[in-house]
Amino acid sequence: MKIENLYGRQLVCPKIDNNLGESRSAFQDGICQRCNQKIVAPLPNDAFYCRACLTLGRVSSLDNLVSLPEPNHFSGKVTLSWTGTLTHQQQKVSEDLLITLALHREHLVWAVTGAGKTEMLFPLIYRALQQKLRVGIVAPRVDVIVELSPRLHAAFAQTDMVTLYGEQTDCYRYTQLVLATTHQLLKFREAFDVLIIDEVDSFPFAGNDMLTHAVNNAVKVCHTMVYLTATPTRQLRKRINKGLPVSYLPLRFHQHLLPEIQLARLNKWRKKLPKKFQKQLSHLVESNKRFLIFVPKVADLKPVHDTINRWFPKMRGDFVHANDKRRQEKVKSMRNEEVQYLVTTTILERGVTFPGINVIILGADDEMFTENALVQIAGRVGRKSDCPTGLVLAYVEHVTLKVKAAQRQIIRLNRLGEKLRESM
Amino acid sequence: MRHRALYQYNDVMKHYMQQYKFNGDYLLKGVFNHDLIQLIDNIDKDIVVPIPVSHYTMQTRGFNQVVGMLDGQTLSDILSIAASKKDHQSQFGRRERMNRQQPFALNVSSQLIVGQRILLVDDVYTTGNTMYHAANLLYQAGAKTVKSISLAR
Repeated sequence: MKIENLYGRQLVCPKIDNNLGESRSAFQDGICQRCNQKIVAPLPNDAFYCRACLTLGRVSSLDNLVSLPEPNHFSGKVTLSWTGTLTHQQQKVSEDLLITLALHREHLVWAVTGAGKTEMLFPLIYRALQQKLRVGIVAPRVDVIVELSPRLHAAFAQTDMVTLYGEQTDCYRYTQLVLATTHQLLKFREAFDVLIIDEVDSFPFAGNDMLTHAVNNAVKVCHTMVYLTATPTRQLRKRINKGLPVSYLPLRFHQHLLPEIQLARLNKWRKKLPKKFQKQLSHLVESNKRFLIFVPKVADLKPVHDTINRWFPKMRGDFVHANDKRRQEKVKSMRNEEVQYLVTTTILERGVTFPGINVIILGADDEMFTENALVQIAGRVGRKSDCPTGLVLAYVEHVTLKVKAAQRQIIRLNRLGEKLRESM
Repeated sequence: MRHRALYQYNDVMKHYMQQYKFNGDYLLKGVFNHDLIQLIDNIDKDIVVPIPVSHYTMQTRGFNQVVGMLDGQTLSDILSIAASKKDHQSQFGRRERMNRQQPFALNVSSQLIVGQRILLVDDVYTTGNTMYHAANLLYQAGAKTVKSISLAR
């Protein structure tokens, strides 16, 4: 192994092997030093292993964790190859972020879905790269990372970067820019000068002790941390009141307001999808519109897809869920417009952009859809300036407070956005 | 030599082996415990011998995957790995596996083996090479019969 592959990493190595780098015991008082959890299972001969972070490769009492300090050994020219321009509001946020970088602070960007959060980060990333800082961009969801990756490659064409997530086979390399899921941070130690956490409120990160530890362990003592979200959790909103610096952006980059959620009743849809739903779909099909159908449960995917397939045999579609082996492939075929629709669980609620998309939510009153999830789902629509509107239709059996709250949240954001638009 | 396997080695079994043996999730040892012991009960034998793992594997994986699966069954630990660091078979092709030298050694004096009906147990049976070498060694030591079973083939 190359010695530089240990810089800022923490890798599992059997004690019996001769280790490169600095070793430390993998457990202290039964607590896993990689993930900070105390969920161990026994092995023979009084050995044991951690079950909490097992999916990232086993840590056992027979292992050490090895690491080397991150030395910022980066060479080469840094260029910003992105040629777009920021809106006035985006510019303001990106200036806030440059101040954050200079002060090594924490900062929250609270920007509506489709505000153009990624582009607002470019000046910050560019400056950090110029200063030879190591930059990590992470998100809890793999789909978010997969979509971010080509955009960052395009924006920083001369900067070497790796994209790390569970199912991918790319080998780790020592690079200045790292894109990863938050789980992958468990393999880092004091690596990042700048860490940007996108979709910070989303599952599985929010409220997850192991991933919170991973984040705190992956940054250097002196660091800059940026949180991005359109829908902060209550805990994060509390931190704003306690002084966490924040930038608000209630208007999308193309200056159009958010599409509002329409409500309709659909009874017993699991038993048999009603004609009313078929009629609604045929409107979309006739005008050749592309759409996502969100369902509460994995078990709902196939029946809904099969019915639509029976109704519209010529139209191509697919369904996808978190543990789908062909998940990336299916999302890609939607992006490439090879299929006209996807039936999906909440895995596509955020971080993904399909131009000209419409969304229908079946069982929007199901507990699987939180208020923020519904706002995020609505936020998939109208993200491109040449197609800034679209249908967001939530079918419910009963109108719940939660569904109403999601509707109201969007209306409230639009009121703020309108005000901002008028003030310019 | 007669060999019996409980299951076919398919994608599900491959996934199980990946999790249990290679990712080392020892809690999964119990999944086939009942089925394996039932099979063993129905075979005439005097002693049950698990295929051993190397010292290196015990220091890294931390367990013998066969012994783990046979929890509750009386086992005779009479074989060990002769070489100090057993190369993992899974990285070799069929020909290379067949040409390997005798990898096993006896832990006990051959007097204890003479006249015994022995049942060998392994996790996955691929070329039969492992069983061939183990049986060879046991017959040379005077075993009466040697049969073998595996979880999957």
